[in-house]
Amino acid sequence: MRSRITPRRLAVVGSGLAAVAIAVPLGIGSSHREALNVMLDPTADNTDTYAFTADDAPGALTVVANWIPGETPNAGPTFFRFDDRARYYIRIDNNGDGKPDVSYRYEFKTKLNNPDSNLYAQPGTTGFDDPKLNVEQSYKLTRETTNKKGKTKEKTIGKNLPVAPPNIGPKTFPNYGNFVDDSIKTLGNGTKTFAGSRDDPFFIDLGATFDSLNIRAGTGNEGQGHDDISGTNISSTVLQIPESDVTNDGKSVSGPDSANAVVGVWATTERRKLEVTNADFDVQTGGKIGKKAKNGKKAKNNFVQVSRLGNPLVNELIIPLGSKDAFNRTTPDKDAKKYGAFVVTPELAAVLNALFNVNAPETDRTDIVQAVLQGLPGLNEHSGKFAGTAVDTLKLNLGVPPTATPSRFGVIGGDNAGYPNGRRLIDDVVDIDLQVVAGFLKGNEVPLGDGVDNNDKPFLSTFPYLAAPDDGFNANVGQVVQPAHPPVPPGGN
Amino acid sequence: MERALQRHRPVRLRLLRWLTPLTVFASLLFVFSLVNRSDDAADAPAAADVSSAGTGGDTEALVAELQTAVAADPANAANSAALGNAFYQRARETGDAAFYSLAEGAFAKSLASDSEQVTAITGQATLALARHDFAAALELAERARAIEPDLLAPYPALVDAQIELGRYEQGAATLDRLISLKPTLASYSRVSYFRELNGDLPGALEAMRLAVSAASGSGENAAYVQALLGKLQSDLGNYGGAERSYRLALAADRSYLPALAGLASVEAGRGDFEPAIRRLEQVVEALPLPQYAIALGEAQEAAGQLAAARDSYGLVEIQTKLQEANGINTDVELAIFEADHGSSAKAVELARDAWRSAPSVRSADALSWALSAAGDDSAASRFSAEAMKLDSRDPTFLYHAGMIAQADGRTADANRHLGVLVEQSPSFNPLYGPRAEQALEDLR
Repeated sequence: MRSRITPRRLAVVGSGLAAVAIAVPLGIGSSHREALNVMLDPTADNTDTYAFTADDAPGALTVVANWIPGETPNAGPTFFRFDDRARYYIRIDNNGDGKPDVSYRYEFKTKLNNPDSNLYAQPGTTGFDDPKLNVEQSYKLTRETTNKKGKTKEKTIGKNLPVAPPNIGPKTFPNYGNFVDDSIKTLGNGTKTFAGSRDDPFFIDLGATFDSLNIRAGTGNEGQGHDDISGTNISSTVLQIPESDVTNDGKSVSGPDSANAVVGVWATTERRKLEVTNADFDVQTGGKIGKKAKNGKKAKNNFVQVSRLGNPLVNELIIPLGSKDAFNRTTPDKDAKKYGAFVVTPELAAVLNALFNVNAPETDRTDIVQAVLQGLPGLNEHSGKFAGTAVDTLKLNLGVPPTATPSRFGVIGGDNAGYPNGRRLIDDVVDIDLQVVAGFLKGNEVPLGDGVDNNDKPFLSTFPYLAAPDDGFNANVGQVVQPAHPPVPPGGN
Repeated sequence: MERALQRHRPVRLRLLRWLTPLTVFASLLFVFSLVNRSDDAADAPAAADVSSAGTGGDTEALVAELQTAVAADPANAANSAALGNAFYQRARETGDAAFYSLAEGAFAKSLASDSEQVTAITGQATLALARHDFAAALELAERARAIEPDLLAPYPALVDAQIELGRYEQGAATLDRLISLKPTLASYSRVSYFRELNGDLPGALEAMRLAVSAASGSGENAAYVQALLGKLQSDLGNYGGAERSYRLALAADRSYLPALAGLASVEAGRGDFEPAIRRLEQVVEALPLPQYAIALGEAQEAAGQLAAARDSYGLVEIQTKLQEANGINTDVELAIFEADHGSSAKAVELARDAWRSAPSVRSADALSWALSAAGDDSAASRFSAEAMKLDSRDPTFLYHAGMIAQADGRTADANRHLGVLVEQSPSFNPLYGPRAEQALEDLR
């Protein structure tokens, strides 16, 4: 649920108005709370999830799950970090029923080496061992397995793993790479993990996309889009898991037709519920009730899911405002029933027709349901009794090897190793979604796009694959413009 | 005393600076409402996404972005509603009520395009709360909920309205639903407040810690909950912890006034009047809210600077008139101010109004204190019982309840309330802390 979007710094016209209007102070009563009206929760907000087979890691599922949108690199002195009191999950469904079978849980802990200092680190901090580093976040990684009856077992597979800090700048962190190197950990059974600050790999022209598709050049297929996410960072978890740890038979995948080849991947965040009236409270003493006096009453402070993300842009383009909270707390097995109708008649198709007259089919869009929720037959549809169940997970066929020269259009570009067969970092999901909604899979091929074709920084060829985060000293948000290029045909072909 | 007076004078001069822009602002609002509408642009499909943009980061840039979007497509109700929310957030960040009116204009514009735009209706409910029109807030929040029953965004305003109207059981039920379905910063901070109202300060602290942890990188909202945590620690007598929380809030936002004022109240409570007064003068100069001017006056009075204190109290009166002129319903704290430093008859009048429009424990406390100042001890005792019906452990509530009980000859009640107060939060106020201790000594 990428709910917050980094605003670009434009529009002098408008901001002048706000700047002049300095007038009457607020009438806030000190006793009445001037209460928060936002329901936003950036630290629990899933932004994007990726699942792919990495070139350098055949035989393993690689997942990137990102949180906290719009992290400007110079957000000091406190910066962004994972919430120590929330639970962050990567979920894997290996039979297609939309329920998690294997889950990886990240729980964070922050230590202030000098509790009286607000500085993240002193100048010249060289690495995790340096006492000049003040704020240190670490995490515990737990693997959960859930059986058919819904019973969950768990095992801690990593403890005290360091989180890569935000890159504050060259004076504070002259060797930032040390933190990254020390944050890549290989655990007992070959699982690799990373958590921390990276460059946000998502790329989009927000202004063009959300201003009634106000495309800047051609039909969005000639470049020149403004990458509004460029120069922003993200709080990332990257996990590389041996196939045998995620498949439904506990074995490696022998090929694309193997019955264990497809896995569905998504990410979630959970927060602790609190009782409004604390069951542990003793009104007589104003403190906690003693153990004996409890009368068997115990506070029930369970965890509740508050955010989830499988396929990109589902929450933004498909789920209506009134259903977003419910969507974010449910598991994918309820998707067909609750949200299927929104996919079959997508509002976006009608909008595309109104704006561009592209003949997008507006009803009966089973082609989209299949591509996004069911999996494409013969490619990434689960086999077995749940085959064809509509669930919002990234369905990846682990038996499909990576492509030597990948297409940013993925499957509609003739490249079966890309979206919607899983999702790679390079996949241009905005262009793919626009073309699919316009009817690509029904033969209506329209060269739509947002004019941004790739990330502002190249991805790494090795773990953790995401580019290094921008540093706070050289922060430069939303300034990258895609170069102009000749028109690209639909699907890039 | 002389020095304090000199330092104080600029505050009153500065006030003029706050008065004149009222007219400037009115004309701006007019220009704002003239932004022309066109009907040819279709609603962007992802408008709802832009509309949920809000907290954290750079709100000024967000305002600019949304103004551009609204100018490009004035009929887009979701974007106008989002702009209203961004203006509201600017009001929180700057303390400038002009942003309230800008927010109101944006919400009205949104509703002119789509009369059922829930974000705009919820925004109006939030504005009504800010103006202390709790009945209107309740109606608006309920309307928003009726339009989108599964959307949780109207719930926070609904909870606030129910609680401020004294409907505590309803408020608890709404809050329970909110936090059961979506535990977030907004729900944690409200659970904290509800527990605090019910005297559960440790439980309130626990909930506020969750809010603080959830607020990383949320700018003003992070500073807000961090400062509230400081206030709870202070109420529990943990002045060291409170000071640290206020300093952390200031780390998130260097000029965050509630944290500066909180820090000053810790200093004043332990008798460090000079730094407290200096800090409060800085706060009042930045934003002359009645509550800050009262705190300044009380610190000055406790330090023996009586003329300066009178000046500060005078500032409260001016501010009150200014706010009334701007349509803001001045609150029960002014009734308490009148009872403490002004006219007891005015205090009773203000508190009765507050009690009639919102019969909460807060208004009951103010009315009891006003009646006590006016010499009606038995009526004061009746409302004091009402104020304490949730077993509040708010230091001011305890002080009022204890002093009223003493005046009315209810020695056991006086002993109980003042005993809890002196044990729990001995330094809650530089004037009333010592008075509570004296009263308790007299009783024993």
